[in-house]
Amino acid sequence: MTDSTKSTTTHNKHRLMLTGVPASPGYAMGLVQVLVNQEFSVSAEPILPERVPKEISLFHKAIRQSIRDLDIAKQNIQKSISKEDARILDAQMMILQDPMLIDTVLDDIRKEHLNARWAFHSRMKELINQFEQSSELIIRERSADLSDLYNRIMALLGESGPVMSMEGSKIEEGSVLIGHTLSPSHIVKLKQGQAVAFATDTGGRTSHVSILARALKIPAVAGLSDISVKAEAGDFMIVDGSNGLVIINPADSDIKKYHAKIEAFKRQEQELLTTRRLDPQTLDGKYVKLMANIELPMEADEVEAMGATGVGLYRSEFLFIQKGNPTCEEQLEAYRYIIHRLNPLTVTIRTLDAGGDKIIPELSATDEANPFMGWRSIRVCLDKVEIFKTQLRAILRAGEGCSNLRIMFPMISAVQEIQQSKRILNEVTEELINQGVQVPHVEVGIMIEVPAAVIMVDELAREVDFFSIGTNDLIQFTLAVDRSNERIANLFQPHHPAVLRMIHAVVLAAHREGITVSVCGEMVTEPLSTLLLVGLGIDELSMTPWNIMECKKFIRSISYEEARTTVHQVMSMPDAEEINRFLKKKYLQKISDLGISSFISTTDFNKNDRTLIKVKDHIVNLDVLE
Amino acid sequence: MIIKSLKVINKMGIHARPAGAIVDITSRAQSEVFLIHGGTRANAKSILNVMMLAITPGSDVQFEISGPDEEDVFQKLEQLFNDRFNEEHYDP
Repeated sequence: MTDSTKSTTTHNKHRLMLTGVPASPGYAMGLVQVLVNQEFSVSAEPILPERVPKEISLFHKAIRQSIRDLDIAKQNIQKSISKEDARILDAQMMILQDPMLIDTVLDDIRKEHLNARWAFHSRMKELINQFEQSSELIIRERSADLSDLYNRIMALLGESGPVMSMEGSKIEEGSVLIGHTLSPSHIVKLKQGQAVAFATDTGGRTSHVSILARALKIPAVAGLSDISVKAEAGDFMIVDGSNGLVIINPADSDIKKYHAKIEAFKRQEQELLTTRRLDPQTLDGKYVKLMANIELPMEADEVEAMGATGVGLYRSEFLFIQKGNPTCEEQLEAYRYIIHRLNPLTVTIRTLDAGGDKIIPELSATDEANPFMGWRSIRVCLDKVEIFKTQLRAILRAGEGCSNLRIMFPMISAVQEIQQSKRILNEVTEELINQGVQVPHVEVGIMIEVPAAVIMVDELAREVDFFSIGTNDLIQFTLAVDRSNERIANLFQPHHPAVLRMIHAVVLAAHREGITVSVCGEMVTEPLSTLLLVGLGIDELSMTPWNIMECKKFIRSISYEEARTTVHQVMSMPDAEEINRFLKKKYLQKISDLGISSFISTTDFNKNDRTLIKVKDHIVNLDVLE
Repeated sequence: MIIKSLKVINKMGIHARPAGAIVDITSRAQSEVFLIHGGTRANAKSILNVMMLAITPGSDVQFEISGPDEEDVFQKLEQLFNDRFNEEHYDP
């Protein structure tokens, strides 16, 4: 988080800029309305006796989920800071298992017929008060931990009823809504025009609230840590959902700048919507398939609306992060939703890619010195064959009756790994056929993200139906640059000639074997990278859904032949700096004429998000585009 | 049943982490464990109860333990107290 404070002449209050995660693109400004969870939706109204079991199970679920979340946070802290700091989270987890708290809440639900939210709210508030009034500072300070637990659980008890209706609450027209968390139920109850933007302490790009905000076209910034404390009701605030930042009490110059951005955004949005039905092809007719990267089944809903022609990457590990080790039925339900929602559009399911920066407590190793090169991805799956088989079974069953399914294996570094994976897939297929399942036709592909796979690309091309290049890892491994290390962020260069030559080699080998190549790192949405990838002959680009329309607009403005010439020119250059200089000189005018630069985000990742969401590799220097 | 005293010799007293370390031991015990301090008797298997005793550095506290593993549980607690709850690597 970065804070920059500066007093302005027009406001007595301090200007404060905070950065978080860009959750829903666009810009807005308005007066702050703070949603305090407990006042917002807690009601003491008793529930009917038949509702009791439901409330009890909601409460248990919220507790379990919180403990799981804390455990993940702990694993991550342990790696980056110290065991000592992780112990504070142990204490929090113990509090959530403390019978003194849990049993009293359960008793209140069972005997007093209180709803779970209210029961937990009143017990926890009582405890927080006791802590706050302690004569010992060290105990008073711990009340913040309890408040944190309070917020966690209350947010997860969103479905516990009865929830107070929004009708009574006085949300002014045009408000910027901020809160520790917002639940989808809050958002769907808003009247049109009530909220112009959202900003929250928690959450990320794939929080349900972020997805809803995008669907409603309301700009949102998540993961701001403490916005609910820093902003007060009545503050004037700018929300920049495209770049993931907010400005509380902005200066006049900020307001002017953002008015212009809002106007430009509206114009572009209109324009881009008209491109939705247009084909993603270059001026000289080269068709480049544009696909969506998704992490949650419900994101499938936005795929078509955003102009994509399918899913190029469904990161199935997010299901595992949410559910621990999901059952075959749980997986089946998630996969089936996506496949059937989009049929006949292609759906590419990547098998479990756990490990590295995506720790699943039930499964992952947590004591590795070098997790990115550790026990992760396909290596885990080939070791834990039962988990792998369960997932493959779920995928194949989910595709019953459809012909749009692709399965993709991540992190392949040897021919033998893909052969083994295919053998296991065949075993599962035969088992299912014997059980009478109509196993669908499936295309099988691999991620190319390890340099060894590029070297062995001819052999690998004979084993599969498609390749997908994971640029995040391929760049990291090729350049030996840890992508989460900010000190060497400038060395993480997607346009390094070594990287471009690797991609080129993959395309050549794939096309010799007659198979397709896609690229699925966030690199693809940077216009200059898009140009190079098209020129290199990539068949498909897969990206965050909301980037698709502007990518399409760019592709429709370039010529394939010219992109090829450009690639030819840059391939002989010695380093990324020279390549970037050349590209900017040649294309900057075009990009700024197209007016897509305001969509480009340079602050596309956030410390908090890194733990769960694959770090985006937007480190190409875009300052000149501003 | 045994009732024995221990002295809190760490720098910060029994706040969240030490309370967590105590409960880590008591919650695994078969015995009933109570922690007595300043005239209050608290269930030592509840981290909230232990924290709310607000035990300051230098305090003497009593453990009342009854059950089949009472000796073993006390030994572990004694070790934990003597190790300053494993949270300080230096002498204050």
